[in-house]
Amino acid sequence: MPASPGGSRVGLFVTCLVDAMRPQIGFAAVALLEAAGFRVEVPRRQTCCGQPARNSGDREGARAVARRTIAAFEACDHVVVPSGSCAATLRIQYPELLADDPAWRERAEALAARTRELLSFLVDIAGYMPAGVQLAASATYHDSCSGLRELGIHAQPRKLLAAVAGLTMRPLEGADTCCGFGGTFCVKYSAISNAIVAEKARCVVASGADLLLGGDLGCLLNMAGKLHREGAPVRVLHAAEILAGMGARPAIGEEG
Amino acid sequence: MTAREAIFGAIGAAGERAVADEAAIAAAAAGLLARCAPTRPAQGAGTAREIFLRRLRSPALGASVAAVGRAAEVPDAVRRHLAAAGLAPVVALQPHPALRALDWSGFDVRPAIAIDETAAVGWAHGGIAETGSLVFRSGPDSPTLFAFLPLHHIVVVPARRIRPWLEDYATLEAGEAWPRNLTLVTGPSGTTDIEGRLVRGAHGPAHLHVLVLDEGG
Amino acid sequence: MSAMAEPASFRARVAAAVADPRLAEAIARTTGTARRKRAAAVASWADFASARALGRDIKDHVIAHLGHYLALFERNARASGAEVHWARTAQEACDITVRICRAAGARRVTRAKSMLGEEIGLPHALREAGIERIETDLAEHIIQLAGERPSHIVWPALHKTREQVAELFRARHHDAARGADVAALVASARRELRAGFFAAEVGISGANFLIADSGAVCTVTNEGNAELTTTPPRVHIVTAGIEKLVPSTAHAMTLLRLLVRSATGAEVTQYTTFHCGPKRAGDPDGPEAFHIVLVDNGRTRMLAEGLREMLRCLRCGACLNHCVVFRTIGGHAYGGTYPGPMGAVLTPALDGLAANRDLPQACTLNGQCQEVCPVAIPLPKLLRGWRDRSWREGLEPATLRRSLALWRFCVLRPRLYRLAAGGAVRLVRMFARNGWIRRMPFAGGWTRDRDFPAPPARTFLEQYHRSSSARGERR
Repeated sequence: MPASPGGSRVGLFVTCLVDAMRPQIGFAAVALLEAAGFRVEVPRRQTCCGQPARNSGDREGARAVARRTIAAFEACDHVVVPSGSCAATLRIQYPELLADDPAWRERAEALAARTRELLSFLVDIAGYMPAGVQLAASATYHDSCSGLRELGIHAQPRKLLAAVAGLTMRPLEGADTCCGFGGTFCVKYSAISNAIVAEKARCVVASGADLLLGGDLGCLLNMAGKLHREGAPVRVLHAAEILAGMGARPAIGEEG
Repeated sequence: MTAREAIFGAIGAAGERAVADEAAIAAAAAGLLARCAPTRPAQGAGTAREIFLRRLRSPALGASVAAVGRAAEVPDAVRRHLAAAGLAPVVALQPHPALRALDWSGFDVRPAIAIDETAAVGWAHGGIAETGSLVFRSGPDSPTLFAFLPLHHIVVVPARRIRPWLEDYATLEAGEAWPRNLTLVTGPSGTTDIEGRLVRGAHGPAHLHVLVLDEGG
Repeated sequence: MSAMAEPASFRARVAAAVADPRLAEAIARTTGTARRKRAAAVASWADFASARALGRDIKDHVIAHLGHYLALFERNARASGAEVHWARTAQEACDITVRICRAAGARRVTRAKSMLGEEIGLPHALREAGIERIETDLAEHIIQLAGERPSHIVWPALHKTREQVAELFRARHHDAARGADVAALVASARRELRAGFFAAEVGISGANFLIADSGAVCTVTNEGNAELTTTPPRVHIVTAGIEKLVPSTAHAMTLLRLLVRSATGAEVTQYTTFHCGPKRAGDPDGPEAFHIVLVDNGRTRMLAEGLREMLRCLRCGACLNHCVVFRTIGGHAYGGTYPGPMGAVLTPALDGLAANRDLPQACTLNGQCQEVCPVAIPLPKLLRGWRDRSWREGLEPATLRRSLALWRFCVLRPRLYRLAAGGAVRLVRMFARNGWIRRMPFAGGWTRDRDFPAPPARTFLEQYHRSSSARGERR
């Protein structure tokens, strides 16, 4: 059921990785949300969703960060996140972390209910389809695990990408298999992570696609970094960049 | 404190009531079982007998099957099967009265089953269409080892004893008690222990031939 | 007796595993087949999702009434002529088993693969007692000959290629196969083990299900070794975890459908046997005595400590086959009896968190284990629970605690965060050449195997708010 966007305010939770490593994804998200008819706000008080603490077992640290994020986005009608794993943190982890905090439980649940990952928001809530976007290339898609399994995102990015003229999608063997990123896992257990991403890189190369697309920058950095180290000429971008017509701009690691 | 008391004590400490409401638990268990039927895998069309035959013929099961009209035809069916496998008519015979009553002339019937017996003829208590399984209830006329020692196991199963589902031999019939062993045999023995590759005849029979006996309904 | 001494630390075991191309090949061969076959089996089961929910509910029902079902099982097993024993710990379980073997005058026992037997260290206990042990499951036989530990709960010899098995059999079998043809290797083991089944005084098995309303013990095998292990000897001993209970045989069938499809992709195991008591009057074969050793070994503690859902586990191995970490490092690297995601939850519970703190951490939380679990165990949630506890108990390294404290200081102060992020990107950018960073201080974990893209000159928040304040917006 498409939302009636008129006047509806979307708060963009940029995520710390997009903020620091690839601002273009943030600008692509703003452009797509505005094209879908929403008023986009980027609250200045936002920082990181707290995954580093949550996944390291530091519940107190994660709770403190969660309260900050909740407060920062409380005025928005929707909260949209260009990352499955950060969106899942807001949607699933925050209510769990604050379940026994009477002052914050309901606020956490309310934020969770208003939060969506960007690509699934565009399809499921906004009913948006890109128009007039062209890119003559072949691409393959990696389903990042949090988005796929915690939020059920699979069809939405493919549906959106199918509307890009000239873009051919190629199947990726093991598209639903983890790329080995796992946040701090990739540096804490780099030998394991490397073996996993090496296998992923082999599958990406075997797909024969020019582009590797996905919806989570962490995974994309991991795969791009491995592909580049191995000299594979696959260009890696966030799907939102393609949908916003930025597919011809420099990909991850390419100089502008 | 005995180990038993310690274990029950720890379970109680974890929140379970010391005195169980047995009727409520039994009702809950029955309620779970009632949910089973709608979730079972589809069997496709046909009677239980037809589905059973289809399952047994599926390559994944690795067995072979033939229909026999009358019990008296069983020895000939066994002879034909052995001949086709290049084997002499030498068999160990399960001590089942229905098998013993047949005319085995022309066969060398072994007095007992050997640990490396080549061929044995058995009589199953029933069959399960869902999985193509044979049901054996151990007892004086059905030693457990009969289904495990021979290289070639040829088993008669009365068609009227073929039931649709695994649950159908999971409850006792009137006058029955649990045997020492209730065994479901589904195809010949196999192993995937080396590189996940399926090889038949690991310890039990390498070949299973089923004779579905239609006599008696 | 271990043929190869295993490194003491998780990291060293991981390093050894990832450096072994034969191991990678062996794991890929078996788990690849298992994943394909499971996927096909699940795809052809229209209402798999409801069946899975039912399986979960059956196990939860039993765990909620564990005391009731244990008492019921005990009563019915005794009525069938079985002797029921209780063991709080692994040591007690081994002591009871060895005592029964000695009372039976056993010099030799056959054993059908049981993960509980591995968990309680039964092979070691039998050796200490001077009792010869013949492993009858093909994979356990391979492991025994090699003097190793199982590396998978369904395929204990998964880490061995057929070439390695062939080499082992050539050295140890009396009439070994030539070459590395899998069928010939299986035939060689059949010949080697045949006489052993009839040479033991005691046969030992585990249990896939304990049937409360009949007192029977269910074993499932594809080889037929369980029945050959438990029928000829005078005594049959079952060692089973107390969580294996189900209300009735029919409930077991419902779980069996899930178990077998998840493990091997088959509809049912070749041999499914319900063992109920000793040989009856008039039975031509079967043991004269039937002992069931019910083992707690940490299970009641798991009930009390938030690991109740783990007691649903059917030991199908699907979570191992689908885990990218298990597929990379194999089972031995985990260091415990149970590897993979289920092992990463169980091993800290059985052997202590301090010695196993890496296991819940060495996971990407990708959730595939939970997705394929036939009883929907929330493995990522349970692994997070161990991480929380590890943090609480101060088991995480000081460097990590310090860097997270610094991170937290910044992210709770948005202005400082924006300054720090802007400074960091410009600092890191200085290490880049042609858009990429090949190496950088303190970033070896990433740059040893991967390049790192150059960050932008300005963060998104810097760029966005500069442009929005230029447009006169302010918030």
